[in-house]
Formats: sequence, structure tokens, C-alpha cells
Amino acid sequence: MSDDVSPAEAAQALADIQLRQQQVIDLAMIPAWYWWAVGALMVVLAIGVDSHSPGVIGLTVSVFVLGILAATGWVVGRAFRHAQIRNGLIDGRGVVAILGFVALIVAGTIGLAFWLRAAGAGHPATLACVAGGLVMGAGGPVLMRRLRAIMLGNRTGAAL
Amino acid sequence: MTVPRFDELIHSPTRLAIVALLAASEWADFSYIRDTVELSDSALSKQLTTLEQAGYAEIRKGFIGKRPRTSARLTAQGRAAFEQHVAALQQIVVRSGATILPAG
Repeated sequence: MSDDVSPAEAAQALADIQLRQQQVIDLAMIPAWYWWAVGALMVVLAIGVDSHSPGVIGLTVSVFVLGILAATGWVVGRAFRHAQIRNGLIDGRGVVAILGFVALIVAGTIGLAFWLRAAGAGHPATLACVAGGLVMGAGGPVLMRRLRAIMLGNRTGAAL
Repeated sequence: MTVPRFDELIHSPTRLAIVALLAASEWADFSYIRDTVELSDSALSKQLTTLEQAGYAEIRKGFIGKRPRTSARLTAQGRAAFEQHVAALQQIVVRSGATILPAG
């Protein structure tokens, strides 16, 4: 049977396969708004911390938790309703990229907050989280592009 | 190293699209496959049944709350057959490239 398949037909079939696999991979991409939403929620939480007021802290923690649950629930629910990406598509490089991004945000934000407090700046947590939130919003889509490239490279037939 | 093996069952355009989607997934929802490949419910059921009978796919039926939910995934056998089929297609393209390249 394979003798009956022309090179053009085989190339078309490979292109179709690539398109279908790309559709699943694109589905797994977290939209840009999510990163900005998480960044904004970090700032809201930090405003509460800097206020030193139990009432404000309670309110901002509630907004943070509900916001994270809503945004993450939407992202996870979307994937759950459609398809779960194959685990093998994200290899060690993907894990390193994700952990590196998280470490950058956490260490950068906390480090900046302590440095601002030591320098006597007002609202150090809020200022640090504004910076962390900006990195989150701008860096999230960059992380997604990196993961997408890794997954496309690991899909079946990517070698050709 | 994947041994190229052309698979007639997978090569059908509709099944190729379905298997390619499943190959990138741990599992995929029936409605997602149906909408992405643009098939009717009955046509997709027929194709999934064919793949299931060949041992290439596994169909799961369950409920989320009261709503029925059907999902599909490739079996290990199906994934291996797909990888071999892709290798066979690549071999066809590569071989043709070797023969159609201008000499010198």
C-alpha cells in the first residue's frame, strides 16, 4: 500500500498530522490575561500586607484567593473539557523553564521587598509585587512560547 | 529507533486526523475531537469504534455530575502504530527528495 502513496500525498499527510498536534498543543497554552491577572492579584495581596490592618488584610486575602481560584479554575476547566496534553511533550527543558520562571518571580519579588524595607521605602511589599506582577504579566507569555516550542519539538514526526 | 511501517487503517484522512490529535494528548474529549475534526457524532463514533476494535484507541464513558462524558485515548499499541506510520511517511518523502534532487 505504501508504494501507492506519492511523496506529495505523504508530505500532505505529515502536514495534516503537524496541524492536528499543534492544535492540541495550542490548547494547552495559558492565555496572556491569566499572567496579568495573577500579577494584579499579587499586588492586591501586597496592599493588604502593607496596610497592617486586619480588616484590609482579610479583604485582600479573600480577593486574592477567590481571584486565583477563578482564573486557575477557568484555565484548568478549559483543558479538562477538551484534552489533556501528553505528558511526554514537556521534557526536562520545560520543567527547568517553569521552575526558573517561578524562582525568578518568587526570589525577585521577596528579595526586592526586603531590600526596599531595608532602604526605608514606604509600602515595600506593594512596590515589590508591582515589579513582580509586571515580570509575571510580561514573562508568562514568553514562558508559554518557550514551552510551545519545546512541545512542538517533541511531538511525533517533529524530526523531519 | 522507530521502524517505519505504513498503516492503512491510520492513513485514512479522517482517522489520521483523529489519531494525530490523540497522539498529542493523554486523552481527548469526544466533543473536542468532533468539533476539531469536523465530524458528526455518528461519524466520529464509527471511526473511534474502528480504532478501538484494532486495539489502537480506548474509549471511556463516564459522568460529570449528571452529564455524560465520553473521552478517548490512544493505547500503547496505537501510539506505536502511529509513530511507525509517521516514520513510513517520512521515509517516502525523504526517499523522493533523494531522487528528485538535481545531480551535482
